Amino acid sequence: MLALLMILALMPSAAVAQDDEEVVVRIGLHAAEKNLNPFISPTALPITHDFTMLVYDTLFWSQATLDPEPWLATGAEPSDDFRTWTVSLREGVTWHDGMPFTAEDVAFTYQYFTDVGGPGRYGHHVTDHPKFASANVIDDLTVELSFVDPVSTFMMLPGGDVPIVAKHIWEGVEDPLADATSLQIGTGPYRMVDYDPNTSYRLEANEDYFKGKPLVDTLIMPVIRDAQAAFAGLQTGELDFVTRNVPAPLIAQIEANDELALAEGSRMQSMYLMFNTRKPALRDPLVRKAMSMALDVQMIVDIVEGGLGVPGNDTWTHPESEFAHPTGGHEFDVDAANAMLDDAGYSAGDGGTRVSADGVPLEFTLLVNATAPPQIRAGELVAEQLELLGVDITVEPLDPPAIGAMRRPSPDGPPTNDMFIAVFESHAHADPEHLYFFFHTPGSGGVGVVFSGYSNPEFDALLEEGLSATIEDKAALIEQAQDIFAEEQPAVTLYYPNGRWAYRPAAFDGWASDPGHGVFTKRSLLPTAAEPEPEPEPTEVPEPAAAEEPEDEAEAEEPAAEPTEAPEVEPEPADDAEQETDADDEQESASAGAVESDSDSGGGLSGLAVGGIVVAAAAVLGGGAMAARSRRREGTVED
Amino acid sequence: MNRFAKIAGQYSLVIFAAIVLNFALPRLAPGGPIEYLAPPADGLVSEADREAILERFDLGGSTGQQFVTYLGNLAQGDLGTSIRDGRSVTDVIGHRIGWSILLVGTAVVLSTVLGVALGFASGWRRGSRRDIGILTAVLAVDALPAFFVGLMLLLIFSVQLGWFPVYGAVTPGDLGAWEWIFDVLQRLVLPGITLTLVGLGSVFVVARSAMISETGEDYVFMARAKGLDERRVRRHARRNALLPVSTVSLLGFSTLVGAATVVETVFSYPGLGSLGFEAVRARDYPLLQGVFLLFALLSIAVNLLNDLLYPMLDPRVRKVGQHD
Repeated sequence: MLALLMILALMPSAAVAQDDEEVVVRIGLHAAEKNLNPFISPTALPITHDFTMLVYDTLFWSQATLDPEPWLATGAEPSDDFRTWTVSLREGVTWHDGMPFTAEDVAFTYQYFTDVGGPGRYGHHVTDHPKFASANVIDDLTVELSFVDPVSTFMMLPGGDVPIVAKHIWEGVEDPLADATSLQIGTGPYRMVDYDPNTSYRLEANEDYFKGKPLVDTLIMPVIRDAQAAFAGLQTGELDFVTRNVPAPLIAQIEANDELALAEGSRMQSMYLMFNTRKPALRDPLVRKAMSMALDVQMIVDIVEGGLGVPGNDTWTHPESEFAHPTGGHEFDVDAANAMLDDAGYSAGDGGTRVSADGVPLEFTLLVNATAPPQIRAGELVAEQLELLGVDITVEPLDPPAIGAMRRPSPDGPPTNDMFIAVFESHAHADPEHLYFFFHTPGSGGVGVVFSGYSNPEFDALLEEGLSATIEDKAALIEQAQDIFAEEQPAVTLYYPNGRWAYRPAAFDGWASDPGHGVFTKRSLLPTAAEPEPEPEPTEVPEPAAAEEPEDEAEAEEPAAEPTEAPEVEPEPADDAEQETDADDEQESASAGAVESDSDSGGGLSGLAVGGIVVAAAAVLGGGAMAARSRRREGTVED
Repeated sequence: MNRFAKIAGQYSLVIFAAIVLNFALPRLAPGGPIEYLAPPADGLVSEADREAILERFDLGGSTGQQFVTYLGNLAQGDLGTSIRDGRSVTDVIGHRIGWSILLVGTAVVLSTVLGVALGFASGWRRGSRRDIGILTAVLAVDALPAFFVGLMLLLIFSVQLGWFPVYGAVTPGDLGAWEWIFDVLQRLVLPGITLTLVGLGSVFVVARSAMISETGEDYVFMARAKGLDERRVRRHARRNALLPVSTVSLLGFSTLVGAATVVETVFSYPGLGSLGFEAVRARDYPLLQGVFLLFALLSIAVNLLNDLLYPMLDPRVRKVGQHD
């Protein structure tokens, strides 16, 4: 038996045969994703979008910048009213099954999302805002996309976000959500070769890819839900990259290991505290502002993330996003906050909890994601800090579906939660209209109803106007809206986490930060050399001014050169499911269940393990020794 | 005939109770599949749309209606479609049940063999240093939680020593037949040992106390008086002491399936335990119902097996049964 164990132990792990030149990278996914079908709302991973984008492409890349790189499109020219965009497409692109990519596919994609695909992670940018009207194919490489309202940011969203699907594959499919098993066919740098549901994926390079042959030939991606196991796998060499953010306690360990390295990247993520403004005690902006002023967000970052993050701004937008407030900042002044509440008639009742003039006590339950330890910790800190203000907070960790249920309006009225902590992912921050989407008065636009339910007509007006405005006007309007936001605080941003990922340089060293996307994106896997200029487009439409001559600049992201923007993303608190990227996300929450969210305390574990080993070993050895020593006394009847 | 009818009746009642409970329990947790299927951020879904979405998975209508639909489907062997995966529940379970059987089966066998060996060795000389030594060691291990044991083994043998792989049941990709077998076995070692240690305690304790009772029996005293050597006496005692052990061991099967949840998560072993866990987090009712029903049926089957097996092992029980 022991011999068998030894043999098995020393047997080398069965490895897939590979010749010397083939580059294979094993990536540990921290949760299962379905089959990358773009119509199914992503379930668990914050990186789902980037993962899907290995197989699919968008017209431009990416959604995080106002000036995205032409990708499937070589350029786009708006009509005078910005309602119609004439998109010129790249020549010579083929689908993974060999069929040619044409303007028909683009027209079909937008129409299909509108008719059949429905709202969802990608669909809402076609069905909600900007609302798609019609497509007109001019020729094989030119298409006009028309929208109901003017869209000055088309290239960014939906252009940089909605994946283009193949007409010849999806035409006639009435229920795209029903397909959760087939291998997707896209135009992207990687081809889906194998998919074992909930277990692993295998992607192979699309060697004829129009942006160059991908640097890695094969991606093998097992799903490893447990954080410890994932990082252990990285250390033993079974994995070359882990999609999970490196938890703060593990950083030292990774840095100390010569075979491993850390890649830093920006992810435009934030952790926030959101108030349910429909609750009587929280309706008054003064109360919310006072609570915001009592929060020491720097301390929260220092304690929860070990300082590896940027304290939040009162103005909501992410500092790295295109419409970030020029100054941002957080007002922290406990004394002033207390004075504000005193003056407004919130006197301290018994036990120190303030009570409003109408007799409503400032007592709240704060919901946090039980599967995300950083959120729990942040919640506890918030409770401690607000106690100084005379506000009584009870932290209640619940799993994502339970929180989701409390965020929905109940049959009798508004959602039952008082406030909750959650995380916004890059898509939510990149969307120029996200303030509209999340904070517009519920009922007449957006999804504010399941967020704070904030309702301010002046705020609404600014954002509504911004929907159809030019980019400059939009920026000004959004800035004004943010000023209102900073005063009324329907939500408070706690911090913007940094993004760090661990990998084995020996296997692949090209992980580079793609602003707003972290390092796990197709850009990291593509060569950086500038591409040859494309042949001149035979088009009747004047070369769009916006069409930068493609290629080049894209590769501005030189690997490693990414000093990245300050707010690095924070290590996914293992799955903090609440990524509220516009759509899904909640799914994230729900499914995030799937996202494991195991504790991030890998480092502490080693210490604990050593201690436990010593104790257990002592007991076992001690017992065994006693047992062995008594062998001599065979034959005695003791009873 | 009468006896069979009685047993069949009892078991049918138990199975029905299991079905009802499996249906009811997932629904008791706050939140539901709609949180997953139509997450709040998707835009508020209208009532009609919600119904339509839930209908796809036979989750529309009142609870009563859902139950009737569920029973109807169950009668046809249709366990529904998993919300999370989009595949039929039977498919999802079928995909992973093999690994569960392998892991749990191995653990049951090993924990029985080891538990019995140690239990008998311990019980035969109750109170001796050997007994106390083994008892201490086994109870110490039993007191450690499964995830801790698993993680310790992972850290020592996989990470520090690099002897075993860290995750999964098998390497993804194409493998030759022998390679595949070795790969599977290699990845089974650590989770298998962990689960074995989890189940060891109960088998050991029962074996030990069974052996202790045997040593107090008259026939043992008689055999020794007759002058039989210890080894033969012990052999007789052993056979009798095995009876209660068979029960505990079989029941261990159902216990270990649940304990396997933690072990599977630590080692990313794709079995039913972690499947149930994931299903709970997604409030995947059809999958939960399917998995729990399977567990319940397994427990019931194991119980039945034990009921049938016992008379075969113990003639005394056989006689009593015949009097019915």
